Amino acid sequence: MKWEKEAVKVYEEAKEYVDTLCVPLSPISLKNAEIASRLANQNKSIHILANELERQYMGRIFLSPGYIYSQSSNFEEEVSKLNQWVKAIYQKEFPHIFYLTYDVKWKKVESYLDGTLIWIPASKIEDYQSRQAKEEIQNQMHQISELIRTFW
Amino acid sequence: MSEKKQQVSRRQFLNYTLTGVGGFMAAGMLAPMVRFAIDPVLQASAIGDMKAVVEVSEITTEPQRFDWTIEQVDAWYTSEVTKSAWVYKDDNDNIVALSPVCKHLGCQVNWAGDDAHPDQFYCPCHDGRYYKDGMNVPDTPPNAGLDIYEHEVRDGTLFLGNAMPREEV
Repeated sequence: MKWEKEAVKVYEEAKEYVDTLCVPLSPISLKNAEIASRLANQNKSIHILANELERQYMGRIFLSPGYIYSQSSNFEEEVSKLNQWVKAIYQKEFPHIFYLTYDVKWKKVESYLDGTLIWIPASKIEDYQSRQAKEEIQNQMHQISELIRTFW
Repeated sequence: MSEKKQQVSRRQFLNYTLTGVGGFMAAGMLAPMVRFAIDPVLQASAIGDMKAVVEVSEITTEPQRFDWTIEQVDAWYTSEVTKSAWVYKDDNDNIVALSPVCKHLGCQVNWAGDDAHPDQFYCPCHDGRYYKDGMNVPDTPPNAGLDIYEHEVRDGTLFLGNAMPREEV
């Protein structure tokens, strides 16, 4: 399920079966053009990946709209903000919470997170239509879903 | 002499001209109507939504998963949507293309996804299972069989259309 009109209706009826929340985490920064374009691209990749994951497991995973933060923020503060954000919005609906990100900075503070961090080493995908990109996404998706399924 | 020179009389000339101009005008009015009349015929021959998915020679008796993309237009946003199908040849050499979407809550099922049932489709979300022909195994969450794709073979290539729900039994 995801944050879309039709899916939310289905979610309402099938709540008891959906026990896993996925939250993509994307940093934003416009200070440096090169970094900005890299981050924007990563934001796109993480959403393609998250959407593919949701497509495979839509009966059990709820894909949250992404959490956006400043790339230069203090991560100890950011962790508690994110925890509050998730708690305020999703309360106690989901026993399993996964955060998807390419940002390695979360790795250091992951023990403070309510949920499990899935940090994916960034791959450089330029052309999303290419066969190679699709295989890469499928590959990553498989590994992530394997990890998630160990929690079920 | 003068009679011989005038091969076209005034009456004849007017006749020809009027017929010519009249005919031209009639044709101008009728041509679009002809187009209207045969238009549906032209459309039907174009086989709308079928997409080439895989060479028939690649299809085996073991179900294999194939992906393809279609362009979907939602009002003002065009997006590429990935579709998948489990395709195999049954005992009578007929091609079967099943939708991977679980009839329970829409997860994607896998062939032999559960080690305990290597000859069934398995849904990892809530342990739904389907037999090879796509019918749901009783006492698992799904309450209907997997949808079946409309399919067509042209020049050795399998084309798939829309997934159709089974008739209720």
